[in-house]
Amino acid sequence: MALRARRFEEAKRLSSNNLELAWWVFMRVSGVLLVFLVLGHLYFRAVAFNFHRDLTYDVVAQNLSSVTWKFYNWLLLFLAFLHGTNGLRYVIDDHVASARLRIWTKTILYTLVFFLVVLGTISLWGWNYQLPR
Amino acid sequence: MYRGREGQWAFYLHRISGIAILLFLLLHVTEISSAMFGPKWFNALLAFEENPFFGVGLVIVAALVLYHALNGLRIILMDFTSWGVRSQRQLWYAVWTLYVLLGAPLFYTMLSHVFGGGE
Repeated sequence: MALRARRFEEAKRLSSNNLELAWWVFMRVSGVLLVFLVLGHLYFRAVAFNFHRDLTYDVVAQNLSSVTWKFYNWLLLFLAFLHGTNGLRYVIDDHVASARLRIWTKTILYTLVFFLVVLGTISLWGWNYQLPR
Repeated sequence: MYRGREGQWAFYLHRISGIAILLFLLLHVTEISSAMFGPKWFNALLAFEENPFFGVGLVIVAALVLYHALNGLRIILMDFTSWGVRSQRQLWYAVWTLYVLLGAPLFYTMLSHVFGGGE
C-alpha cells in the first residue's frame, strides 16, 4: 500500500515494512536525480539536434554508440522506469478497488515495463549501428 | 481545508502528469529503439514525426515534465524540512511562478520551431 506520509519520520512510522520505506526514499532520491538527468537530456538533445532540425538516423546512431551517452541514457532509462512504475503502482493501489483488477493491471504494467527496459538496454549495449563515414 | 484547495490540485496534477509522462516514455523508448531497424526505416519514422501533431505533443510533454519536476521538488521540501508542510500553499504558488519563468521561454522556443520554421 502506498505510503501517505508527509515527513520522513512519519513515513518510517507508517510503512508496513522496510521495502515500502525504501521505495518512499527511492522516489525522493530518484526524483532529484531525474530533474537534473532529464534537464541535461533535453538540453543536449535540443542543442545536438538543433530542435529536431538535424534529427536523422546518423545523429541518433552516433549518440547511441557513444559510451558516455550509453551510461547516461541507461541510468535515465532505469531511474525513469523505476520511478514511473512505482508511481503508477501507488495510483493503482489508491484507485483500483477490486483486488483482482489490481493484480491484472499491475501484471500488465510490470510486463510492459520489463520488455521496454530490455528493448532499451539492447538498443544501447547490444547493437552495432551503421555509422556515417 | 484540504479538498478543493491548492494541496489537492497539486496532488492530482502530479499523478495525472506522472501517468502521462510514463505513457510518453513507453512510446519514446520504442521509437528510439527502432533505430535498430536501420536508416531506411528510422528516417521514414522521423519524417513522419515532423508532423506538427507530434511537435505540439512534445511541447505538451515538456509542459507536464516541468510541472512534475517543480512540484516534485515541492514535495521533497515538504518531506525533509521542518517548515515545508506549513508553507505548502506558498510553495505551490512558488512552483507556478517558477513554471511561468522557466516555461515561457522554453515553450515559446519549442513552438516557434514547430511552426513557421523558427530560424
